[in-house]
Amino acid sequence: MRFVPLAAAGLLALSLTACTAGKEAPPSLGAQPGPTTSGTGPAAAALPAATLELWHGFSTDVETKAFEEAVAGFTKKFPQIKVTMKKGIQDDQITQAIRGGKAPDVAASFTTDNVAQWCKSGAFQDLTPVIEQDGIDLSVLPAASRAYTEFEGRRCTMPLLADAYGLYYNKALMKGEQPPKTLSELTELTKKLTVRDADGDIKVAGFIPSFQYYENSPSHLGPMVGARWYNDDGTSAIGADPAWKQLLRWQKDLVDWYGYDKLEKFRKGLGDEWGAEHPFFKGKVAMVLDGEWRNAMIANDSVAKDMDYGTAPLPVADDQPDLYGSGFTAGTVIGVPRGAEHPRQAWELVKHLTTDTESLVTLSNALRNVPTTQAAMEHPDLARDDNFATFLDIFAHPKTSTLPANVNSVFNQDAFSTFLIQWEKGTVKDLDAGLAGVDKRINDKLKLSGG
Amino acid sequence: MTRRRALMWIAQHALAIALALTFLGPVVFVALTALMTDEQALTSRLWPEQWNWANFGEVFARSELLTWTVNTFVYASLATLFMLVSSVPAAYALARFRFRGRKAAFLVVISAMMLPPQVVAVPIYLVWARLDLTDSLWPLILPMLFGDAFSIFLLRQFLLTIPRDYTDAAKVDGCSDVRILFTVILPMARPAIAAVALFSFFYCWNDYYGPLLYAGVDQEGWTLSLGLATFKAFHSVQWNLTMAATLLVTAPVIIVFLFAQRVFIEGVTLTGVKG
Amino acid sequence: MMVSTRVAPPRRWRGEGVRALLWLSPWIIGIAVFFVYPLLSTVYFSFHRYDLFTLEFVGLDNYRYAFSDARVLQSALNTLWLVVFMVPAQVLFALGVAQLLVKLKIGGGILRTIFYLPSLVPMVAGTVAFVYLLNPATGPVNQLLARFGITGPDWFGSAAWAKPSLTLLALWGAGNTIMIFLAALLDVPRHLYEAAAIDGAGSWRQFRSVTLPVISPVLMFSAVTGVIYAVQYFTQAMIASRVASGATDSAGTTFTPGYPDGSLLTLPQHLFHTGFRDWSMGLACVHALLLFAVAMLFTLILLRQFSRAEGTS
Repeated sequence: MRFVPLAAAGLLALSLTACTAGKEAPPSLGAQPGPTTSGTGPAAAALPAATLELWHGFSTDVETKAFEEAVAGFTKKFPQIKVTMKKGIQDDQITQAIRGGKAPDVAASFTTDNVAQWCKSGAFQDLTPVIEQDGIDLSVLPAASRAYTEFEGRRCTMPLLADAYGLYYNKALMKGEQPPKTLSELTELTKKLTVRDADGDIKVAGFIPSFQYYENSPSHLGPMVGARWYNDDGTSAIGADPAWKQLLRWQKDLVDWYGYDKLEKFRKGLGDEWGAEHPFFKGKVAMVLDGEWRNAMIANDSVAKDMDYGTAPLPVADDQPDLYGSGFTAGTVIGVPRGAEHPRQAWELVKHLTTDTESLVTLSNALRNVPTTQAAMEHPDLARDDNFATFLDIFAHPKTSTLPANVNSVFNQDAFSTFLIQWEKGTVKDLDAGLAGVDKRINDKLKLSGG
Repeated sequence: MTRRRALMWIAQHALAIALALTFLGPVVFVALTALMTDEQALTSRLWPEQWNWANFGEVFARSELLTWTVNTFVYASLATLFMLVSSVPAAYALARFRFRGRKAAFLVVISAMMLPPQVVAVPIYLVWARLDLTDSLWPLILPMLFGDAFSIFLLRQFLLTIPRDYTDAAKVDGCSDVRILFTVILPMARPAIAAVALFSFFYCWNDYYGPLLYAGVDQEGWTLSLGLATFKAFHSVQWNLTMAATLLVTAPVIIVFLFAQRVFIEGVTLTGVKG
Repeated sequence: MMVSTRVAPPRRWRGEGVRALLWLSPWIIGIAVFFVYPLLSTVYFSFHRYDLFTLEFVGLDNYRYAFSDARVLQSALNTLWLVVFMVPAQVLFALGVAQLLVKLKIGGGILRTIFYLPSLVPMVAGTVAFVYLLNPATGPVNQLLARFGITGPDWFGSAAWAKPSLTLLALWGAGNTIMIFLAALLDVPRHLYEAAAIDGAGSWRQFRSVTLPVISPVLMFSAVTGVIYAVQYFTQAMIASRVASGATDSAGTTFTPGYPDGSLLTLPQHLFHTGFRDWSMGLACVHALLLFAVAMLFTLILLRQFSRAEGTS
């Protein structure tokens, strides 16, 4: 038995050195000169043939088909490049593949939560050199979209399509009222539109204030009061920003008006967010916060498509009327992971998908997502019915904001949400102390991740 | 006295039957739901109004169920085979040879058996990543070539019950260790070997943690457990399909059991008594 | 025969040490590579920040963080809950069912099969099924309860009921333990019961003075293996959280483990998420050492039990 520790020590030394050595990676972006775009020949011909692997999160047939068509536009331009696609991919899988050295050439994500971590760790390659090389003008992107695709000066992803969040209201349930513009109007209307039965159980809710209700995350609601997540050094600003307290007190008042237990009972009996039983489709709630993509879902649902509904920007804090018209935005991001086999060709695909106006317009019309570039927004072919145009306007509003990139974005949102559940339940006695606790969790984690 | 006994008899049987019905309940409801239409599965009615047998076909059409079954089968078979090849000799040595450190070696077996697999997950994952074997099931299969603590433990406990006389007689005849293992020990240890093989196979068949860590992104490399775990996420509102998939994943296990019932019960009993 | 071999160790045993080493060598390599090395390595990484890209020495930072992390405490308490409530519930339930089965005169065979079968249902399948059955709004269990005028609880949807719901699942899958007890009970010599009955012992006294001594090793074995199992409890808790929370992978949302309210977050799960979702490998190694300590504690109890058994046989 004596030689066991010995052998183990040997193995340990062996694999530890192996761990830091790293594998030989394919050339990264910017390391090679790009195809000569200045010459007479088309750039397309200068790019060597390759088969690219593209991972994306779309999963329904409609979405997948639309995305495939967008990619087909690229392969038409570059016939020597083939693209194989893998659908329904989540962020976890992308990160795991990159860390395990099995990265695809191009990866797209529905959330912006991991952008900071991807950029900072180098899991996605910095696109800055090739953007400069190809002379792409990033000012055609709105500030928010620029912000959620980069971190600390490293632009490692590009915005593909954007999501904007606003208010949907069911006209039949509104009793002739106009959508609210301030939080107090929202409260008033909610009280007016809510219907209860003899036992006091909720039958129709005016607006569901619970943070656990589908899209009511703090990131989506924060812009209503202009709340701030982070200080400039990445530490938490949640406890110090009075706007959050304003939002939370408003929210808790409304929850208490319903009665927490009654509201929870109602919420838990609601249908699935992604199915035909959605409470908004079923007329169980008059006003909901939702993304622009809900328009497409309503249109595709056999029953809900006949519903008479309207859309509007979210109501805002009474003392900050200039926020009205703005909202939360985030979107699909796409980039070239570290370890991509054909980074140069991969970049061309990313460039095409994110900057080609025609491609963006087609994709936007098919998916009913907001296109990200100025040219695409103004393109005459972009379908802009009233209910959708609301979101185009929210997206373009100068005060529209996003969740700032942070290496621990997922963790931080979870820490906040965990507290919010306690808050709406009423188990938090001291709001300041509770928020300070959230700050501490976020800051401790930040310190652990190396600041 | 007899009247009391009769009452007891009735009470016991009634209780047993009630319990048995409770145990069957989940299966019945799952099966009923699996046969409902999409719409009905969301309602509160419990009996299918329309027997929708097509749900099972739908599961095959919408997922890689066949591929997952094949993967799971390959994983479980290879792992079991490798486990036997490596664990039987080790158990034999631990049960039969006398050497210094024999007791210590057995303690190591028990410790390894008790170690939660997650404790050593990080370094082992790194090794497989270095070897470029993540995104496959090999990190779950190859270690079985080096013995499985639980199987070694069980086999050793069983081999200890074989009287030494048999092997000693063979030794006098000049048989080698290998010959003794094959001609004397293996035939006598057949029930124990069958039991550990079954356990190992079913452990792999049901394993979720291992494939979750290693099987990777590609659905074509997944196992049944992994596929079923995400099935609901992809078909979030279709409980009927999810239940049909659940039944389809369970069916092979039950069928195997019905054919090898005796081996199972003997094996389970073995763990308890020998432990 | 046994006596004679003990008295005179024959010459042919010399060299058994070398042969044993030969026979055991694959296993020894296995222990070195998959047990000893990873343990040492885990200690090494626990002092580092490591995300598979860069390795950086951070001293005790990971430890400091882990011991002030509310989630570590919560997950440790959840794991403890399983050990303290789920394991005894399962063992006692199995013993009760086995007792009942022993007494049955007819139908024992079929009932035995019925009780055993659920333990063969793949863990993932069983868990998915239970989350469906116990769905607060549309699940059959609450539907049935409603017919008797009872409002069923939220089961997997409420922090208070989630672990009890998993315990129900554990009872349903207790077939293995039931069979072990059944075998042990059948081993109790009948005449002992008869003798006790003649002495006027009631059924409880009979159980205490006759049954219990005979089955106590088996009882101990079931309890300790149950505890070890509870310490590594992962799959059912994770699946239940995922399915009950309605997390949809397709929407790209990142799933927060332990739904509802962290009540199903076990220590192994927390470790998994830290290491293989957050890629904080160093911190995950601290969790691993904590889990190791917990497992070791219970292993020692088991080892003591075994050495006692070895001594008597």
